[in-house]
Order: sequence, then structure tokens, then C-alpha cells
Amino acid sequence: MSMIEFHNVEKYYGKFHALKDINFTVEQGEVVTIIGPSGSGKSTLLRCINGLETISSGQLLVDNFDLADKKTDMNRMRKNVGMVFQHFNLYANKTVMQNITLGPTAVLKQSKSQSENEARDLLKLVGLESKANSYPDQLSGGQQQRIAIARSLAMKPKALLFDEPTSALDPEMIGDVLNVMKTVAEQGMTMVVVTHEMGFAQEVGDRIVFMDDGRILEDRKDVKQFFEKPQDTRAQTFLSKVIKHI
Amino acid sequence: MAMFAQAYQWINLKYLLEGLWVTVEVSVISIILSFLIGAVLGLTRYVKIKYLSAIVGFIVDIIRNLPLLLIIFFTYFGLPNVIGIRFNPLWATIIAMTVFESAMLAEIIRSGIVAVDTGQMEAARSNGLTYWQAMYHIILPQAIKKMIPPIVSQFISLVKDTSLATIIVLPELMYHAQVIYGQNTNYMIPMFVALAVLYFIVCYLLSLLSRYLDHRLSESPEEA
Repeated sequence: MSMIEFHNVEKYYGKFHALKDINFTVEQGEVVTIIGPSGSGKSTLLRCINGLETISSGQLLVDNFDLADKKTDMNRMRKNVGMVFQHFNLYANKTVMQNITLGPTAVLKQSKSQSENEARDLLKLVGLESKANSYPDQLSGGQQQRIAIARSLAMKPKALLFDEPTSALDPEMIGDVLNVMKTVAEQGMTMVVVTHEMGFAQEVGDRIVFMDDGRILEDRKDVKQFFEKPQDTRAQTFLSKVIKHI
Repeated sequence: MAMFAQAYQWINLKYLLEGLWVTVEVSVISIILSFLIGAVLGLTRYVKIKYLSAIVGFIVDIIRNLPLLLIIFFTYFGLPNVIGIRFNPLWATIIAMTVFESAMLAEIIRSGIVAVDTGQMEAARSNGLTYWQAMYHIILPQAIKKMIPPIVSQFISLVKDTSLATIIVLPELMYHAQVIYGQNTNYMIPMFVALAVLYFIVCYLLSLLSRYLDHRLSESPEEA
């Protein structure tokens, strides 16, 4: 069953044409990585999926919710689709534990004790059991991002979106976050990951999408071959620039 | 020094304290009213309700850019001609202060909310919270923390600005001091000193309150 379907989606910011004729489907359990130069529309595409941006035309189905339909209840859709941000965006006024349990208690109406038990399991999963009572500003970037992943998982989503989750991190923290993401992927989570981590894309991704100038230029399941021999010339130029510095 | 001792005889001090009481009365009522009205106006302007937010913004901007004295004059001298109701100096002052301070606070409250990182709202919405749940649990608690220092500064200005009402003969602190040194100009300097001390005490207490609240909120952000 398809989790996410884009059909001829266009997105404009005023006159700026941010997404051009996007046709793109993500199946349940798939891990799709999206790469491309800055300003290529990767993040916009991702933000459309959970309704942080609205599409200008075309059709976008997420978990069978029609996002172009004004009557669609975005909050119900968002229960099933989590998002992890580049700058973590942990709730600054809440402890780690409260960050994780707010969604389950306020949205899913779970009891506090059940939510806290589940939160402790999630903290174990991301390796930060000792930080339950810390505030976000007491944690490093890598730790904050792992908490943000735990916060998303607490909603038991059907899909998780990652918007450059390691771009704001110090190099030595990136590995920890990628390891958590790999664990989540191995548990069968549907994931769409906008990233510059080519290693992660190759190792964990089932599929790779290359975007430039608002278009999807390549969409391939043979991830290894893509990295060896991209077809689109812009993908070739992009990869040659990125790979050179690894 | 004899001049000071004479100026501060009990009957004068008592008269000053009576004035201080009116100052405090006007200040407290205006603070409470303007905080409530300012919060509603600021929030209305922030959440962008069609037409209403624009109208509120327009009115707030006009009032913020008028001299307080003009508003006091208008409520006391102007309103009787416009709506045929004459307020006594006390209520004319309270109404004028409330109108002016509500507009000032509305803007402080709106900018406090705007100053919260937009990523917080996006995270909350992605987390499944509704707009108002996000406001209640995440945005407003953080905004209130940012607002406290400017709100308290505004209240301090309010207390000091009640002295403008001396012009419409409100028997507040400044007016009573003027009455005392009007009888004996030797009392002028002692009265100025007394005014400085009394206004300072009231305003300093307010800034202590600000520090206390700020401290409490940073210790336990949850209670914000």
C-alpha cells in the first residue's frame, strides 16, 4: 500500500516555482533518501507531506488523506506522520520526558504513566535514559536530535520525515544520530530522509531521489549503481562535487 | 535642615501618603485592566482573524503614538462634549491610563509571541497538537517568559505617568506635594526629595517583582 503519493504536484511561493510536476510515491516500509543542491526543493517537498506547506496544484495523498482537500483534518493525518527537523525544535520549556510525552497525552489521550513508560523505552532506544529530566538547552545538538526522534516515535507514527537531521550537528555527533535512524529503519518504519549524508543514503536507503531546480531528476531503487553512475548530468556534477570532499 | 524637619511634619507626611494611596489605587486598577485588555488585543492581533486583527492593529498603533496627556485631556474634558458623560478625575485617569497602557501592552504581548522561534510551532503541529494546544503548552509559556521584563517596565512607566493626572486635579501624590509647597516655597526641595523617594520605592518594588517572576520561571519553566 502506498503511504505517500504525489501526482503532478506544483508549488509556488508567489512567483517562485518551488516544486515542478512532482510525481512520486513512497510505499509502506520504504526508506527513501532525497538528495540535491540547496534550494532544489527537497525540504519543500518534505514539508508538503505533513502539511507545513500547502501545495498549489496537483494531488497529494498521505496515509489516504487528501491534503489538497480543505476539509481534510490535518491533525489526524499528523498523528500518523512524524517529522524530525534540522534544528531539532525540542520544546524549550519542557524537559526531555515532557517533550516525549506531550503528544501521546495531549493528542492520543494516553495516560501519563503509560506515556512515561513508553518514553523510557524510547530513551533507551536512543541511548539517553539518563537525560529524562534535562532541559533541551542542557543537551548537545546530537543528543537533542536523538530526543527529537524519540519524540516523533512516541506517537507511533506510520511514517517519519527527516529534514536534514544531521546538517546542524558537529561531525562527531552525526554518527550517533544516523545509528538511531538506522535502527528505526530496520524496525520497518516508512522514512523519507532529506540529507547530505551519502553514506547513510547508500547503506540504509531503499531508494534514492535526486532533485534540482524543483524537479525530481532521478528516482532509483538501485542506490549503489546510482552513486557509481548517475544518469542525469546535473546529478553527475552534484555527486562529483560532493564525493570529492568525503 | 530645619526646613526639612518642618516640611516633614506629620500633617504634611500624612497628606503625602494620602496622595500616594490615590497613586497606588489608580496604578493597580489600571495595571489589572490594561493587562487583561492588552492580552486580548495582543492575541487578537497575533492570530490574524480576518479584518478584526487589522482593525485592532490600526487602533493600537494610533493610540501608542498619541501623548498620554492628550488621552487624559480627552477623557476628562472631551468625553462630556462627545457622549455627555463626565467622569470624576479618578475614573477619567483610570480610563485614560487603561486605554493607553492596553495598547502598549498589546504590542509587547504580540511581539513576545512573535519572538518565540517558529520551529516550536512547526514541531508542535507535526507532533499532532492543534494550533491552540500548541499555543497553550508550548508557545505562550515561552512567550510569557520573554514578556515579563518589558511588561514590568511598562507598569513602572504607568506608575510614574499617573503624575500627569495632577493637571486634571486628581489628588494623587504629585498633586498633594504641589499643594504643600504651594503654601510655603521653602518646602519645595524637601517635597521633591520626598516625591523621588516615594516614587522610587513603589517602582523599585515592581522591578523586584519582575526579578522574582523571572527567576521563578527560569527555575521551573513548566510553571510558566
